[in-house]
Amino acid sequence: MSTASRQFVQRAAVKAADLEHRATIERNIQTYDAAVARGRLRFADWEAARNACEAIKAEAICHLDRYLEQFEKNITARGAHVFWAEDAAQADAYVATLVKQRGVKTVVKSKSMATEEIHLSAALEKAGATVWETDLGEFIVQLRDEPPYHIVTPAMHLTRYQIRDLFREKLGADVPDADPQKLVAVARVALRRAFFSAEMGISGANFLVADAGMVALSTNEGNGRLTTTLPRLHVVVAGIEKIVPRLADLALLWPVLAAAGTGQPITTYSTLIGGPRCADEPDGPEELHVVLLDNGRTNLLTAPETAEVLRCIRCGACLNMCPVYRQVGGHAYGTTYPGPIGSIFTPRTVEMREWGHMAYACSLCTACKSVCPVKIDLPKQLLLVRRDFVAAGDVKPAENVGFRGFRWVVESARRFAAGGWLLRKSQAVVRALGFSRSPLDPMYVWTKYRAPMPVPRQSFRAWWRQHGRQ
Amino acid sequence: MAGNSSGARERILARIRDAAVRSGGADLIDTPLKPTAGLSGPADVLAGIFPPIGDARARFLTECASNLMEAMETADAAASAAALVTVLNSLPEGELYVQDVPVLRSLIERATIAQPVRWSSQGAPAASTQVSLTLAHAFVAQTGSILISSQCGGRGASIVAPCHIVYGTGVQVVPDIAAALALAQAKGLTEASYAGLISGSSRTADIEKILVQGAHGPRRLVVIIED
Repeated sequence: MSTASRQFVQRAAVKAADLEHRATIERNIQTYDAAVARGRLRFADWEAARNACEAIKAEAICHLDRYLEQFEKNITARGAHVFWAEDAAQADAYVATLVKQRGVKTVVKSKSMATEEIHLSAALEKAGATVWETDLGEFIVQLRDEPPYHIVTPAMHLTRYQIRDLFREKLGADVPDADPQKLVAVARVALRRAFFSAEMGISGANFLVADAGMVALSTNEGNGRLTTTLPRLHVVVAGIEKIVPRLADLALLWPVLAAAGTGQPITTYSTLIGGPRCADEPDGPEELHVVLLDNGRTNLLTAPETAEVLRCIRCGACLNMCPVYRQVGGHAYGTTYPGPIGSIFTPRTVEMREWGHMAYACSLCTACKSVCPVKIDLPKQLLLVRRDFVAAGDVKPAENVGFRGFRWVVESARRFAAGGWLLRKSQAVVRALGFSRSPLDPMYVWTKYRAPMPVPRQSFRAWWRQHGRQ
Repeated sequence: MAGNSSGARERILARIRDAAVRSGGADLIDTPLKPTAGLSGPADVLAGIFPPIGDARARFLTECASNLMEAMETADAAASAAALVTVLNSLPEGELYVQDVPVLRSLIERATIAQPVRWSSQGAPAASTQVSLTLAHAFVAQTGSILISSQCGGRGASIVAPCHIVYGTGVQVVPDIAAALALAQAKGLTEASYAGLISGSSRTADIEKILVQGAHGPRRLVVIIED
């Protein structure tokens, strides 16, 4: 059992028993659910929208090499630098070198999961820069020294009162009534100084548009716009799967991303960055660097059945819909990408033996598949991870023996009947002795968290002999 | 910067191509790029997906309201100047940043303005700029958005000041995002360093999913539409 797996089980048990935490998440996700229901009404045919998005992203992944080259050629022609990074170390080193060479003291960051994945902030701080997260949710979790809780709503686990206390402690700002409007104003003032003093802005990308050679960035707060406007350097860090073939595709992808992510008609600032400041423009960065990040993504291409995972547009819908995520929350997983998408992405891009357990935090209810805007077959992918995790060999010996024994029992009608008899009798004894739900109960794995199942008095076969022919 | 002297680029591309071959998709490498299977173009794809727009102008105004934008309809340049003055008078003291184009120069001349004016030809807006005035390339009915680019007075003109005023005409209304993106390509906006759709004031719902206006960008986005 991997360390990550043990930690996941421990954290999940604690979080699932934390009723206040569960109430906060439930309240947030109910608001999201209502907004998404309204958002989908803006489509005449939501299913057709999903089919078309699936087709666009599938085509992009199918021709990934050529669209990446097209993107590189077009954006380079406008003066941008493109750097290809095979892993986190290469990407971090490239940006850290830029920080040192250009004398960067302050960095402002727009929300980006790719930079979380490669722990870029830590690398830049080591290189001597101060890094400010500027998305409000990211800023809050940065002040708490926590990773984001959710890929779209990083501070979803916190109440306004916790944020009030945090701002009082870290920023010296007093907002007694914890009015969200006033809390936002506090963050605005604190970050405005950072925006105007920063020499480098770092963003992710929601889409890399091949035919136009532009980086598409969606933010509601406008922090993405300021990050890409004020500092003299702009660095984009984007996974290679972010590519889309045509600018025209955004006419569908923008509204669909917004509908699935927050329920909005379109994200407030739907931005396209094509290069550094042009000669006739009054402002904008002097340099634009785009880091194209592999970091295990090409592993998903080695088998045709897993390539669909790269269609993901990181809307977070599968997290919000997942009954497990809703109980254990985003931090329990211990990964950059939690929930259903994280459970199929992480084991294949990082390490199967260390992270394959994530695919078991799932009841295969298929709710995630029903909401995915690019129609990734998440339940199938979760099963494929389980298959490969077992093949990779990090399964408890007891489980192996247990399943072998189970198979031996169910292969014969006689053994199955005997097994049923033994189970009924042993449960009757355990309960009579008062051992039920104690570690002495052979069903303790089940009864630890659940009410004991009623044990029938007789087997189905015995019942059938008595009643079946009536 | 050294760039990719290490050959990372070639190795990543090789991994992608290897994978395509192994999955029996040799055709993925050799065939010319084609439009998405079964779809002949974006217009076709979108036809059944979104409801028809109908009266684009009316839809734009409705969407503006739901985006918490302020839309002011005016009959002529004099009325537009008066509308501009109304908005400016409601703001705290501070600099007005204006995209330097003849049509906005003449609008400013018509209006009696108390604020000091800085033109985009004089450099970027300052941290203390209170309001900016720009044109837009189009207004999008589907989502109540404005299409702008760095040609509209630069990047900061639409994001730095707490209030952004956009001046345009009714003929600039296009039905949907597809039309706006087609226009952007036709007008060469993809050659600008920045282009984008702005659909309302800056906002956040990061605290308990409660909507708050004016996160980092403008708290107010005002559109003056003249006929």
